[in-house]
This record gives sequence, C-alpha cells and structure tokens, in this order.
Amino acid sequence: MSEQMTPQTPQWWKKPDVKKTAILWVICTAVIGYVGVEFHVRNMVRPASETMSGVISLMRIFTWAAAPVAGLVAAMCLTVLTSKRHYGDNPPAEADHQISNSPRATSLWIVVSAFLCLFALITGFIVIQKDAVALLDKNAIQINVTGQQWLWSIDYPNGARSEDLYLPVNKPVVFHVTSVDVKHSFWIVQMGVKIDANPGYVTETAVTPDKIGVFDLRCAELCGLLHAYMQTKVHIVSQADYDAWLSVHATMEKGA
Amino acid sequence: MTTVMSKPVSAPGKSIVEKLNFFTALALGAISAIVVWRLALQILPEDTEVRLFTREDKITLLSMTAWFIGFMTGIGALVGPFRWLMGKDLTHEENMFLAGKDMGVKRYFRYTTDHKVVGIQYLVITMVIFGIGGILAMLIRTNLGTPEGGWIHPQAYNSIVGTHGIIMIVGTIIMVTGPFGNFIMPIMIGARDMAFPRLNALSFWLIVAAAVPLIWAQFIGGISTGWSAYNPLAGQGPLGMDGYIMFICIFAISTMVAGANITTTVVKMRAKGMTWNRTPIFIYGVVASVALALPAFPVFFLSQILSAFDRALDTSFYNTAGGGSGWLYENLFWIMGHPEVYVILIPAVAALMEMAPVFTRRPLFSFNVAVMGIAGISGLSVLVWAHHMYISGWAPLLNTPFMLTTELISIPTGMIFLVLIGTLWRGRLWMTMPLMSIFALLWNFMIGGVTGIYLSDVPADAFLHGSMYVTAHFHYTLMGAGLTGALAALVYWFPAMTGRMFDKKLSWIAFWMVQIGFNIAFVGMFAVGLAGQPRRVEAYAPTFNTGNMITTGGAYLIMAGMLVLLYGVITSWTSGVKAPKNPWQAKTLEWTVGYPVPLENFDVLPVVTSDPYGYGKAKS
Repeated sequence: MSEQMTPQTPQWWKKPDVKKTAILWVICTAVIGYVGVEFHVRNMVRPASETMSGVISLMRIFTWAAAPVAGLVAAMCLTVLTSKRHYGDNPPAEADHQISNSPRATSLWIVVSAFLCLFALITGFIVIQKDAVALLDKNAIQINVTGQQWLWSIDYPNGARSEDLYLPVNKPVVFHVTSVDVKHSFWIVQMGVKIDANPGYVTETAVTPDKIGVFDLRCAELCGLLHAYMQTKVHIVSQADYDAWLSVHATMEKGA
Repeated sequence: MTTVMSKPVSAPGKSIVEKLNFFTALALGAISAIVVWRLALQILPEDTEVRLFTREDKITLLSMTAWFIGFMTGIGALVGPFRWLMGKDLTHEENMFLAGKDMGVKRYFRYTTDHKVVGIQYLVITMVIFGIGGILAMLIRTNLGTPEGGWIHPQAYNSIVGTHGIIMIVGTIIMVTGPFGNFIMPIMIGARDMAFPRLNALSFWLIVAAAVPLIWAQFIGGISTGWSAYNPLAGQGPLGMDGYIMFICIFAISTMVAGANITTTVVKMRAKGMTWNRTPIFIYGVVASVALALPAFPVFFLSQILSAFDRALDTSFYNTAGGGSGWLYENLFWIMGHPEVYVILIPAVAALMEMAPVFTRRPLFSFNVAVMGIAGISGLSVLVWAHHMYISGWAPLLNTPFMLTTELISIPTGMIFLVLIGTLWRGRLWMTMPLMSIFALLWNFMIGGVTGIYLSDVPADAFLHGSMYVTAHFHYTLMGAGLTGALAALVYWFPAMTGRMFDKKLSWIAFWMVQIGFNIAFVGMFAVGLAGQPRRVEAYAPTFNTGNMITTGGAYLIMAGMLVLLYGVITSWTSGVKAPKNPWQAKTLEWTVGYPVPLENFDVLPVVTSDPYGYGKAKS
C-alpha cells in the first residue's frame, strides 16, 4: 500500500511499520471477512427460496469485498496504536518528518473505492433484473393478500380464503398485496421477500418456495396497537397436499 | 400578543426587554394556551359528520399555537420586530442588556444574544434531551428483556418508541452544531459574534417552545406511530399526533433560522486572511450540516402542515380514499429524513477531524480530500431519499437509480476514512479520550457503513427492511459515529467553554463503558434483525430472546457509562482543575482568547496567515 508513504523514500515497503501493517492487513482481512460472513450467515434464517439464498450469498460477497478495506483501516489503527503512545498532561513533541498530503495515495484510494462501488452496483442490478422478470411469470399462482389491523387475509385463485398462507413447493407465486386501513408490510421471513401493503393500491412481489415446511409471515411496518402480533404461518406443502387443501377449503367457503 | 407590547413602560428607565425572561414566557404561554383552549371550546361548532377527533384536533392545534406565540412573546422574541413596525429599533442599552453583559447566571434564562450564552444553553438542553431520550430507551430495552413484553401497555410502548425516536433525532441534530457550532465556531473563525445574534437566541428558544407540545402529547394519547409518523397511521392516531406536528413545525423553524445564521456567519465573518483553505475543517462540517438542513427542513415542515390539514380540516393529502396518497408523505418525509442523518453525522465527524491533528501532532492529512468528502456526502445525500422506500411499492422502477446514488455515497465516505487514518498514521498519539474516540469512530462507522451497503442493495433490503437490523445500523452511524464525535467534542472544548478541564479518569471510564456497552447492545440487535425480528415490536417470538437479552444488557452498560459522563460533567464544571489557556496546544483561534471569553471575543480582530494544522512543519 503506497498511501502512507512519502514519494521521496524509494524503499518505503522496507520500513518496519509498513511491514507490520502489511502482515496485520492480511490477518485483519481474513478475520473480518470470516467473522463478518459467519455472523450474518449463522444468524440469518435458513433459506426457503432461491431469493433468500441469493440474499445470503450477496451478503457473503459484499462482506468479503468490504473486508480488505476494513482490514486495512484496522491494520493501520493497530500499527499506530501499538507504537508511540504518549500519556500525560502535555502534548508529545511534534514529529519532524511530516507529510500533509499524498496525491498518489488519495487517487489510488478513490479509484479503488469507485471500483468496489461499481462492483456492488452491478451485483445488485443483476438480481433486481431477475426479481423484476419473476413478476411477469404467466404460469405463476396469483395470490391476493390483504392486510388489515392486525391480521392478513389470503385469497386464492379458486375463491378460497385463509389467514395462514398455503403454497405448493417449487411453484412460482406472485403476490398482489393491498391493505384496507393503514400501511402494513408483507414479509415472508425465510423467503426474503417483502412488499408494503398500501391502502388503495396494489403492490406486487414474487417468489418460488423451494422447501417444504412451516415458515413465518410477519408485518414489518408499524401499523398501530397490535403490530407485534400481526404475524401468521406460511405452510409450504407438496403440490398434491396443496390441491387437496385448496379444494377442501374452497368447498368449506362455499358451504359456509 | 399585542397586549404585552402596547403595555406602557411602568418603571421609567426599565425597558421591556429587561422584564422578560423564561418565567414570563412560561406564564404567558400557559395563559395564552388556556384562554385559546376555552375560547375554542366555546366557539368551534360540533362536527356535523361522524369523524374521529376533527373538532378536538382543531382545539388542540389552536391551543398549542397559542402556547407557542405566547411563549415567544413572553421571552421577548417579538420586541425587536414590533419596534421595526413602529419604525424604531432597540436602543444601545437594550442591545447590551440582551448581550448579557455583567448579568451572571440570569442571562441563561433570558433572550440573550451572546453566542457563548446560546452555546451553553444548547449544551444544557442537549443533555436534558439525551437524558429523557435515554430513559425512554431504557424503558424500551427493559420491556424487550422478555419475549412477551407485557409490563408496558402496547399503546404506551408505541408512544415511547416514537418519542424516543424523535427526541433523539432532535438531540443528535443539535448536539454538535448547537453547543459547539454556537460557542466555538464564531471564535474559531475570528468573529465577534454571529451574523444575526437575535436569530441565534430565537433558534434556541424555539427549541424550548417546541418541547412543550411534545410533552403535552404524552398526556393526550402519545405519539403512537414511531418517529416517522407515517400516514395514514398518523391520521388515525390519537390527539398526541398534534403535539408531534406542532413540535416538528417549531423545530423546523428553529433549524432553518440557525442554518441561515451559521451559514451567513461563516461566509461573511471569517477573520482577515482566513481563506477557504485556511478555514478549519470543523467549520466545513458545521456549514455542511446546517446548509443541508436549509433545503431539508422546510420540506419536513410542509409534510407536517399537510398532516395537520388532514387531521383538523378533513383534507385528504395523504388519504387514498380522498384522492391523496401515503406515498406523498413518505416522499416528503424522507426528502428531509435522509439529508438529516448527514446533518447529524457530518459535524460530529468533522469535529474529530479537527481533533486528529491536535492529538497526533501532525498536519491533517489531505485537507482538500476532507473538504471533497464533506461536499460529496452533502451533495449526494439530497438525492438518495427513496432508498427508504425500496419496498414501499411507490416506484419500483426508481429503485435502481436510487441504489446508484446511495452506493455512490460510499466514495466520499471513504475519503473521510482516508483523511482520519492518514492523519493517525505515524502520528505521535497523545492518549486522551478524544483521541481514542477517533479510533472508536473508525470502528463503529466502519460497521455502520458496511451494513449500510447491504441495506442499500435492493434485494438484500427486501429481506432487511423494517427489521431490527435497520435499527442497529442507524444506531451504529448516529450513535456509534455521531454521538462518539459529540462526546469527544465535549471533552475537547470543555476547557474553552467552562474554564476547567474535564476529569480525565471519568472521561476514560465513561468512554469505555459507553463504547463496550454500545457494541454489545447493537451487535445483539444485528443478530435478531438477521434472524427476522421486525422493528418497533413490543413482543417477539421466543427464538429472539438471547439476542434481545444481550442488547438489553449492553443498553444498561451504556446508561451506566452515560451517568458516569454526566457525573463527570457536573463535577468538572463545578470543581474541576482550572484549565490553562491552551490545554491541548492547538493552533485554532478559539484557544487564543482565554477564559472567561470577553463579551466580544477579541479586542483586536485576529489576522490569519496559515492553516491551523502546521504541526511539525517548522522542522521540515
């Protein structure tokens, strides 16, 4: 790293504090990257859709991309902190060799951060594009979701209605979300999809569940008194079970 | 208000401005509010159609407005404008009185125009605000100690969350530009006072006037919507929302007034020779902050005026059924809301950049890059607001451009890191609490910044938005970076403001307790956010219990640290070691005037011949 050094010193990389920083940089990058990724992945819910797996791998990539920068800052801080400390009520003597600028260092820093920024943008754009295309899937199951204080109502294509969400595994779904009173936010936690429910408008989001099991649907926008309790279950079942549930449920609706 | 103005001056020789103080203001505000409240009860017709609150909203808003006008009249804010209407102005004696000459403690309870008095007033009110906001935070964390919540009623809990949010936002907005921007900044640039001393007093007393509607709101239903007060939830909310509206409107005026004043002062009143590249970096931070507030807060003001219309006059700006849209509110709110986080952050970081050369005894690394960083963040921050609305459904097609602008902010932010780390590199560290705060800032702001990049990414935000992860992220930036800078600024400028050194041992104890507690608390909060706990909930699934326990424990440690700090402030202020003239041997002008600072700061205005970072230059 050239940023800390004066241009007139030809062998800046041989200085002891630079060597120390370089070693610390490698160590810090590895530690920060590893701990950062593990912290996120271990705490995050097990993915139940490709969307959520995508979010997790995105966090992995971004953490590893940020680790060298954070690692360099940490390494330089550690080097500085472990040398030349001065305690007392009066300041230490001023160092005699002082630089107040380094065009090479600053331009390198800016170029590197611009590239990292570009990388993050492109990674994001690719996923956005994929998510936008998913909304247009003609074969997807179309589900209407209505939020109200403080429960969710799910309407299925055949007229069935429920408070829990039932879906078949490995089948794309498009949710059309709205609200009858205030803003809510429709969040299937393990599938990594979320869209606000706005009164008077219909918003859309899409997902393909890829695991059978019971998952969480929570409201993610403060919606009044019982916001904390506005949650329900998402049951992902096999296609056969789904069809059976749907027909029974539709009949029950009609019978009622 | 004219009743007071037109009252003949009874005691000859005693001007009206000498009779008005905080207590006449309280009295007049209370009387006005009660009178208008009774009148409104009598005069306003009953609602014809069935609609919750409309008449009550009118009465509440009118009474609060009456309080506001009564208070500002009682403090003396209208004496000057009234004289102007009469074609006159304040006399020289009155101006000297207002400046607080030879008045002792009493000047802190008056409409005093001296910038040093205003700075101390801001410091005290900031501490009061943090005290109240901190107590509310402890209530929240205590309630979240167990999954079922329970001992606070959900309505009260929601109100505590909303009040904690808005009061801390206001506290952090004023925490650097208020005390240090007013007390230190004019001396630092070599000016005798602010450009508009009376506006300075106005901006402070407006905050005091604003506080009362916020307290009032707690007794009429509270602020049950979180600090963002999204419509239509706010429209449905209790009468306390009127207190929120009034609070924001008055505070927005205060911020605009302060912004115009500080900007003018810095542009027009710098000492001779203080060119832009000799102006200390802290001044850039303060100006960037208040200049950002200038476009942002009028929009906040507007958003709340429309809210008030919807509530009291039955309009439907935010009501979809009536042709409006909640998305309009969200846009107006975040057009203020995102610049606002940089209003908080920039001056705190700039204060640490100001301290870095002092405590490493070397020049600020790359002054120009520091200025570029501040300018870049300020410029971009007005173009990113809709990243708060990625998943609102308002305009999915705009997510991409807003993601672009948001992630671009990482470049100027990186410049700030470069300046700080470049200044520390090979510096001779003078181990003090402000110096360690720079390291703490780098640590906390790195975490806050990188998690910000995850949140700026639309697909990741679809998972993270509205979860505790967001709450932890912005606490890392506003508290971990912002408050850290403000506390360092307090210790650093304490000798200049009080004439005494801040107790060294207590500053270290408080520093470590707050920083460790902070990192425990908000790492725990990141964890539960990733696991799927939504924000602003008063109860949660049992799986989140461990993380919440950790956060609550950390929060108690922060509180203990802040109490140590408060104890340090009180003991050091009253009986600390007397400070030498320039205890840190810094090269900026505020250390040349000594303590107590003379009324007009400088007998002879200084002339500046170099930048204030020339450490070690003489020897090269």
